[in-house]
Amino acid sequence: MAIWSRVKSAFRNLSPKRRVAIEDELEDELRAYVEMVADERIAAGMSASEARRTVLAEFGGIEPVKQAMRDRRAGVGFESLWQDARFGLRQLRRNPGFTLAAVAALAMGIGANTAIFSVVNAVLLKPLSYPDADRMVLFLRASTLLASNLVNVREFHIYQRQTSVFQDIAAYDIAGPGFNLTGDRPEQLHGIHVTEPYFRLYGAPVSLGRVFTPQDDSPNGGNVVILSYGLWQRRFGGDPSVVGRSLQLGNEPHTIIGVLGKDFLSDPAADIWLPFQFDPASNDPNHFFRVTARLKPGITLTQANAQLQLATAQYHRDYPQADPKQQFAVGMLRDSVIGDARNSLLLMLGAVSLVLLIACANVANLLLVRATGRSREFAIRAALGARRGRIVRQLLVESLLLSVSGGVLGLVLGFAGVRALLALSPAGLPRIGQDGSAITMDLRVLFFTLAVSLLTGILFGLFPALSASRIDLNSTLKESSRSGAGFRQGKARSLLVISEVSLALVLLICAALLIRTFIALRGVGPGFDAHDALTMEMSLNGARYQTAAGVDQLLRDGRERINAIPGVEASAAGYWLPGDVGDNAFFRFVDRTTEKGCCLTKWMSMTPGYLGLFRIPVLRGRDFTENDNAAAPGVDLVNEAFARQFWPNQDPVGQHILRGKRVESIIGVVADFHNSGLAKPADPMMMSPIAQVSDGYTAAYSNIQPLFWLVRTRGDPQPSIPAIAEQLRIASAGFPVAHIRTMDQVMGLSTARQSFNMLLLTIFGAVALLLAAIGIYGLMAYSVAQRTQEIGIRMALGADRDRIRNLVVGQGMRLAFIGIVAGIAASFALTRLLSSFLFGVKPWDPAVFVAAPLILTAIALLAVWLPAARASKVDPMQALRAE
Amino acid sequence: MGKPSDLLQGTLDLLILKTLSIEGRHGWAIAKRIQQISGEVLQVQQGSLYPALHRLEQQGWIKAKWAESETGRQAKFYSLTAAGRRQLDSETTQWARLSDAINLVVQES
Repeated sequence: MAIWSRVKSAFRNLSPKRRVAIEDELEDELRAYVEMVADERIAAGMSASEARRTVLAEFGGIEPVKQAMRDRRAGVGFESLWQDARFGLRQLRRNPGFTLAAVAALAMGIGANTAIFSVVNAVLLKPLSYPDADRMVLFLRASTLLASNLVNVREFHIYQRQTSVFQDIAAYDIAGPGFNLTGDRPEQLHGIHVTEPYFRLYGAPVSLGRVFTPQDDSPNGGNVVILSYGLWQRRFGGDPSVVGRSLQLGNEPHTIIGVLGKDFLSDPAADIWLPFQFDPASNDPNHFFRVTARLKPGITLTQANAQLQLATAQYHRDYPQADPKQQFAVGMLRDSVIGDARNSLLLMLGAVSLVLLIACANVANLLLVRATGRSREFAIRAALGARRGRIVRQLLVESLLLSVSGGVLGLVLGFAGVRALLALSPAGLPRIGQDGSAITMDLRVLFFTLAVSLLTGILFGLFPALSASRIDLNSTLKESSRSGAGFRQGKARSLLVISEVSLALVLLICAALLIRTFIALRGVGPGFDAHDALTMEMSLNGARYQTAAGVDQLLRDGRERINAIPGVEASAAGYWLPGDVGDNAFFRFVDRTTEKGCCLTKWMSMTPGYLGLFRIPVLRGRDFTENDNAAAPGVDLVNEAFARQFWPNQDPVGQHILRGKRVESIIGVVADFHNSGLAKPADPMMMSPIAQVSDGYTAAYSNIQPLFWLVRTRGDPQPSIPAIAEQLRIASAGFPVAHIRTMDQVMGLSTARQSFNMLLLTIFGAVALLLAAIGIYGLMAYSVAQRTQEIGIRMALGADRDRIRNLVVGQGMRLAFIGIVAGIAASFALTRLLSSFLFGVKPWDPAVFVAAPLILTAIALLAVWLPAARASKVDPMQALRAE
Repeated sequence: MGKPSDLLQGTLDLLILKTLSIEGRHGWAIAKRIQQISGEVLQVQQGSLYPALHRLEQQGWIKAKWAESETGRQAKFYSLTAAGRRQLDSETTQWARLSDAINLVVQES
């Protein structure tokens, strides 16, 4: 009943008419009270005016009592909050300059945070789009020489037996060789081999037909294929009768048995799926696919790994010759998908929150200035009975209005910004889709932006609100309206500016370090000449390419045809591009005994002319020639790093090594080139002629990855592309080439992540610099305006204009210098965290630590100069008369 | 004049209800009455009296109407409602229990 009556009165009180009536009645009631008491005192002999004065004095004034009653009315909380908001909006509208500056600073800060968070959300936070993705694991293998997530058939069979902890254990190609869809419109399709449980594991929806059965996936399962929804639409126009029809892949017919659903996103992406059809007795030693599975319900990662320890022990009992350090394990699939993107993104998130802090400090400064101007307003409100909490709330409501407007604008800015940025710089981030299309504005991003907006509103609003509401009524009301900022406020504002400068310097130094990293990377001679070289991929499908002779024949024929094209200077082929060689090979020494597991080296096979095409010099011995064919004695080239590691202080040329049972001789030493990324020194590497590679290895390569054709032209390679593609189609009897790129493009992609990091931090650094400059400018301009009179007096007493200007400049620069010193100290501590992102530059690079503060000083000087110049132009007569 | 004792939280409501249980009064009379009966110990600040009256009115425990005071001025007279009378009974019992308990503790030591 009591609650009900309160609710009723709350509603009644919200109606404006009713509110006016209540107010009037209250006024009457209180007046009557005062009159009655006064009547009594007059009757007791007091004079009429004295009686009224004493009553009012005891009463404490009518207005404060009215306010106290208003505050207690039901529903008054909402009502007065609404009032505060409307009043706040009016205030903000009345000061468009202030509002614009504050909202712009906040929009920049919040926008940058939204942008980065939306990327973090897409890459790190969103779950993988598969059923029970939090239970999906990837199989890992560690050994003496390398850790890898690639698996061979023998190990896969071991994994398959671990059914007590895993279910749906499936293997799939990492990239696949690609498939040539032949016929009237040749096209290279992206296809991957999978084992039967794959579709169940990844929860693939089926549009038509069926997925693989265990029968399809057995060695005699026949040529069957499953299409992606996209390929079905593109090549078959969505024809529902496609199941049962035949698809020509590399001139071999494959029966279409099913089409997957539209929304299925496989990783890696694919147009077609084929069954692996592993032979259970296979002894293929090549590690060329990945294996994932789902943990059984209730099984933890630790339990699964404990089980794999047992499997490892069993493996070593079964295969005593195996590398004793070989070990099996699993890790969460998500972690491997995200990879090293996590660190990059966390760095960005850290940098961007510094930007926001600077923006907050800036707005807090603006608010402090405004609060000083409004101190009389607050004093009057307090005199009329507003409690301190009300004034703080009023100011907080205003700052929240600012931060939420900044947030809305920031959301739009950040979102547009991140798209533009990713279109500009591909970043090499996983899970973001084509040009960042997977970065969407979902509830989490919206919630993040809202939370950041509210938090910043409170962060920058609370301090000025508290300091403004600490009012000494008497002195404030007595002071003239001109009175300046109090001492404490001045100090607070200086402190804010100092922290802005120091934060900006930290960002500037980080940006400068990343710029230097990028320049250093770009300046690295890769060790090969990438200009005017073209690369294109071809999938070698079919029986012909299961033997070295078949591949060799194609390569000879193809190169002959390419070399005949006008403008072509040289051509070659290989399974790897020189900047990123991904294969390893074991070998042993003929004249030395070595421990088990030795020796592993990077390895690639190539046609003659590969080294010459990339202008990689052979330092000693000779390059491969056309005569190093299958019939000739086995020969290898090694790089300098290889020579240093395995034949220190000796010439390896003429030495012999064992590969399997075959003895091969080292015929030359090649100059080192960066074969595993520009940031790393060259790994030891061995090279063999493609023509001499064993049939088993040739078949494995044909089934695992595409071949790279390489062409160097005289001048721009683009015009030669159609002729090259045409000649290669003839040589291969109808195969298309795909992924045609210049080596310059390839090299650009290899530094994409660094360029993305650099670009972002440079933008953040510039924004921070701008905000800090505005901060200093604002403080000094305000202080000059406040001290016009003082400056006038100084001038009247004989100070000349230069002196006045130097006074202001000196005061502003003192703050900047304190900030710079603090910023340098903070940077010394912080840049160490950056060291894993740096290349060719130390975290405390002296050039950076000198240049960045100098830039900041120059900008600060500019920001201080403007108000200082204004101060020196003060007309003393006017300044003194104005009072 | 010493500072008047602060009223225990919530006791002002009880005092007002009790004062109004005999007859309806206006604000000034209520304050005066409490002051007299308590032997000038309890001084009701006007800043608390009126908010309290409003609160009680909104709870539905007292009702108000305008009438002429003894000196001929228009004043708002407050009187107890039936709900207010029940509230007074329950608050009185509660107060008795509380003050007995406090007395026990104070005299014990």
